Amino acid sequence: MKRRTFLRTVTGLGMAGVLPMSLIRPAFGATAERFLITVSASGGWDPTSLIDPKGDAPRADGLGPVNNFSSSEIKTAGNLVYAPYSNIIQAPSIESAGHFDNFFAKHSNRLLVINGIDTQTNGHDSGRRFVWSGKLEQGYPSIAALAAAPYADQPMAFISNGGYDFTASLVAPVRTAGANTFSQLAYPNSMFPEDEELQPLSYFGSASYDLVQQAREQRLTRLRVAESLPKRQLQMDQLATVRNTEVELESLLAFLPEEVSEGLQGQAEVAVAAFASGLAVSANLNAGGFDTHGNHDADHTDSLTELLEGLDHLWEQIELQGLQDMVTVVVGSDFGRTPFYNDGDGKDHWNITSIMAMGAGITGNRVIGETDENFEALKLNPDTLEADSNGIIVTPQHVHRALRDFLGVQDDLDSLFPIGVEKLDLFS
Amino acid sequence: MAKFRFIFYAIAFVLLSVGATAPASAQSGSSIPYFEIDTLHIPRIDVEGYGSLRLELKLVDATALTFSIIEAIAAEPGLTPGATFDLDSAILDIPLTQLAFDFYTLQLQLIPGDLFQVLLADATTVAGQDNYNSLCSSCHGVNGQGGAVAVSMVNCANCGDANALTSYINNVMPLGVPNSCIDTCASEVTEYILTVFQVDDSPMVAQSIAALISMPLDDTLRKASLQLVGRLPTDSEVALVASDGDDGLRTVLDGMMQEQSFYARLIEIFNDLIHTNRYLAANSRPEEAINLMRGFPDFRWFDPGDGVRDDEFQFNRVTTNDSVALEPLQLVNYVVKNDMPMPEILTADYFMVNGYSAKSYGVIDALNFNDEWDPQEWLPAQLPGIPHAGMMTSLMFLNRYPTSDTNVNRGRSRVVYDLFLDVDILALEGTRPDGEAVDISSPAPTMDNDDCVICHGLLDPVASSFQNWNERGQYRPNQPWYEDMFQAGFAGIDRPDSEEDTSLQWLSTQMQTDPRFDDAMVRIVYNGLTGREPLDPPSETGTEAEWDAFNAESVHLDELKAVYVADNQNLKSLIKEIILSPYWRAEALESDAFAVIHEETGAARLLSPEMLHRKIIALLGFEWRSPLNNYSVTIELDNQARLLDDSQFYNQIYGGIDSFVVTERLTEPNGLMVAVQERMANELACYAVANDFLYSTQDRVLFPYVEADTQPIGSTDQASIKTNIQYLHEHLLGEELAIDDLEVETTYQLFVDVLAASQASNEGNALPSSCRRTNDLLSGAPLQNVLVLDANYVIRAWMAVAAYLMSDYRFVYE
Repeated sequence: MKRRTFLRTVTGLGMAGVLPMSLIRPAFGATAERFLITVSASGGWDPTSLIDPKGDAPRADGLGPVNNFSSSEIKTAGNLVYAPYSNIIQAPSIESAGHFDNFFAKHSNRLLVINGIDTQTNGHDSGRRFVWSGKLEQGYPSIAALAAAPYADQPMAFISNGGYDFTASLVAPVRTAGANTFSQLAYPNSMFPEDEELQPLSYFGSASYDLVQQAREQRLTRLRVAESLPKRQLQMDQLATVRNTEVELESLLAFLPEEVSEGLQGQAEVAVAAFASGLAVSANLNAGGFDTHGNHDADHTDSLTELLEGLDHLWEQIELQGLQDMVTVVVGSDFGRTPFYNDGDGKDHWNITSIMAMGAGITGNRVIGETDENFEALKLNPDTLEADSNGIIVTPQHVHRALRDFLGVQDDLDSLFPIGVEKLDLFS
Repeated sequence: MAKFRFIFYAIAFVLLSVGATAPASAQSGSSIPYFEIDTLHIPRIDVEGYGSLRLELKLVDATALTFSIIEAIAAEPGLTPGATFDLDSAILDIPLTQLAFDFYTLQLQLIPGDLFQVLLADATTVAGQDNYNSLCSSCHGVNGQGGAVAVSMVNCANCGDANALTSYINNVMPLGVPNSCIDTCASEVTEYILTVFQVDDSPMVAQSIAALISMPLDDTLRKASLQLVGRLPTDSEVALVASDGDDGLRTVLDGMMQEQSFYARLIEIFNDLIHTNRYLAANSRPEEAINLMRGFPDFRWFDPGDGVRDDEFQFNRVTTNDSVALEPLQLVNYVVKNDMPMPEILTADYFMVNGYSAKSYGVIDALNFNDEWDPQEWLPAQLPGIPHAGMMTSLMFLNRYPTSDTNVNRGRSRVVYDLFLDVDILALEGTRPDGEAVDISSPAPTMDNDDCVICHGLLDPVASSFQNWNERGQYRPNQPWYEDMFQAGFAGIDRPDSEEDTSLQWLSTQMQTDPRFDDAMVRIVYNGLTGREPLDPPSETGTEAEWDAFNAESVHLDELKAVYVADNQNLKSLIKEIILSPYWRAEALESDAFAVIHEETGAARLLSPEMLHRKIIALLGFEWRSPLNNYSVTIELDNQARLLDDSQFYNQIYGGIDSFVVTERLTEPNGLMVAVQERMANELACYAVANDFLYSTQDRVLFPYVEADTQPIGSTDQASIKTNIQYLHEHLLGEELAIDDLEVETTYQLFVDVLAASQASNEGNALPSSCRRTNDLLSGAPLQNVLVLDANYVIRAWMAVAAYLMSDYRFVYE
């Protein structure tokens, strides 16, 4: 792969005067040795229906039970505690990889659960922003963008499937919906890119095509020299920078399944293939359907099943490519859901949530943080990480402080977007 | 004296090192002496025997703190003396001097050599400054420039009259807590605002705008035409602009804004911020919008039931869904189309339906459609017993921004502020509950804790105004409402009890006169036409250039806004003025000296997938679809448009949005997007070039000057080829080039080189298989005179030229 310095990208993006020069150094050399996947359960998931279950004991305030299952039915897998299915719905097929029993039996040893995180908001936008950037206010890049920033010269350094993907111009997000079209984009001069035999049949002969590409590049240079409007100068620089970066989509294709799956599983396949082919460093994946203001138990279970199936598939892809020691996966959501049901059998927004992490560097079979019977966060001792009434409430700031340290986010980037809270050893 | 000297050193240091200037306000109209760079300006001083003078004193010795007089002319009339000079003591006494947004008392002694030396420099304040800083500046800024949450105090709408501004502060401001600044406080803050923040056009603004070189009117016409209606201008439109100049362009734009394609573009512009198109079938599921209508008995009128569903069912299903989904944005269209004031989008006591959605809502019988099966015919309608309040009571809007028992409409309120008042509540200063950082122990901290009231004082009265609308967007009046939050109201005015059932209608009437609504419209349109929002005020540590950039743009946008307001808040006026403005038409700079100020200036943008899709149709006469050799079939399939479909093709890869999970457009290219451009150029060249040669020269869009076998042999044919290249540069890129221009020559050389390379590599005498034309591209009808052979490689050379031009910066950016 033809690699240019980050400085060229930075210059192209007009950031050279803004960012400290030390940011031009990739943390791990030219090729990333560590990859990050964030998975957003979009809409606000309900940890009490998954990894922080409470049961159906009546609440003292009369608001009704937290869950529609008995606390005696709550299950464990190693040190992890997980919810049984609601008694008022039909559980998903036991064959499904997303069935709780299957998922936790298979993955609990690699899963870290952090419960009792206070997002301090119940707005979707602000919740997503806080959970994925560590800052409630606007202007901070998502952790996935931050992880990719030192590798911004890679053509697909940061793959985004939507959700909170603000980058603060550190790296250009690449969207990959329609992943089955990659072969068309990998071979833009081919008339039949999807057909391996016919693929060499092209619109232009190679000599002609080289002339076109050469002329195109020279033309852009001429336009740039003649241009005096800064905005257009910047646009031309950006275009030239991207065009000069060799996008080896062919190598990505080699790691993709013949038919890319739909939904979260497809997002996972593309992300892992992009890691394996050296094109990407981080990706945010998105699974929707968690904003269950009505018919919570059934609809939320469907979404959780899809999410867990996707995570299982993601891990299989990671293992398939032999990247299990290089990819860290963090799963979270906008916030949580109320520890009681509304009149429509739904659950509304609640500021307490959980995250899960697995993969490279994560010690699994662990649960950090607690909530009480009403799904209120309990304070945590910052040193022992045990419940402590004199401790602190964990917020996404703490999670990101720890995550940045864990991932080795460069000091310069870290100080450019500071998170000034206690350091909790949540991940290592 | 040491103390004074120290202070003055500090002042001088600031002045000399940072180049700080007094606000432009001080330069005209104000009587207060002020510093600018190293010069002390005294607008008026009365000196016995000399009359009223305007003095300028320049610092000549920063150590001795001495100034010399560089100008003494008659003062402008109407000013009050800002300094006195005592002839006996030879002391110049200046009780109040402004340095940026700080004030000082100065005394200077006249010493031999006609110099003035500083005797005293004490920091001071002016009446109203402290109250402004404590009560107003968190939103309006210390420098009065406003920000994400509040309008600028510079030439603000209420600033034309001191009494009006005092009254406004007395009764309304600060929002949510108007009683905190009344009577003397209000009058002093008024005086402070009017003294410090009011500006005429400063020389800087004028110079900044003068530094922009605008594109010619004919280029402006082409750009506007592609942007607004997705087509090239007609000959008569070009002629009108050529003959009538700016007025001609306005007339042409008026005509374009009657076209249906303009209203499709307008929907895009508004949806980019409002995002109700999340419910379109293409962005979700076939009945995503319809599923929100469960309270309407006929909401699935189109379904004949299992076993009898046919193609008509599918068409009616999707058309109905999309008609329901588009309702709030069709209200925007209706208001603009009928030249109504834009606040109508909030105050309308109706909603919009076509024949399909009218059936679902059960109002079809009450309406008189010309053709109830025409999805483009939209009429206003009312639902019995529903107090419509424009977009705010739209079922789509209310569901796109839902509420809950714990959110209690605050999310909706935040969106209303953001979209319709240009106020970002989340940017307000204040502290959210963070463990023990904020005392939330009181029963209603959002009402009685100052940290909370900053936001909730604004947020909650609007949230409470939505009290009759439940989480599903249904109207449910006479329900108990929360007492532990601020009750319905707006801008310090409580909603009358008599309006409880019609709270949102009352709110809309309050909002329609709020000047921030006009700011919101400017923001939406400016974003739509330029691809970026107006500049935000820089932070307090912003550079002078950043401030100049912001000031210049905001003053200019205020002028455009004034035209729109004067024209009865007609959005068409705003669109026309923005297109005619030097900012939109910026093509070059007079001098690099303005490069920093104009870093963001200009309308050049990476075309969105939708805009690029339309541009291709405008220039080639067909869409980019898959596969193009089956165009007559795929034209009927929504999911085969390469740049519009996001599941099989490139819409999201190319930066499009689904208005739900992905709501931000990509504005910078990435590796995949460049690959899309390359494939687009190759495919289109393949189909467009050969196809064009099938037509007679007068009907061709690409090759009116050459034939498929015209080779660069002989001066006549060489000239024809160059003429056609000159034409292609204009047609595809909008470049008017002389025949001997370097670009024409370079493109010609590409043509010649490809021809030679193809011949040398002996690629064969037939066109690439996909590029052969055996049937009509558009109709699919078999051709009698097929175009398969390209024995001398000319068509392939033209394909290379076309691919080169259609992947050019000027093609994919506009």
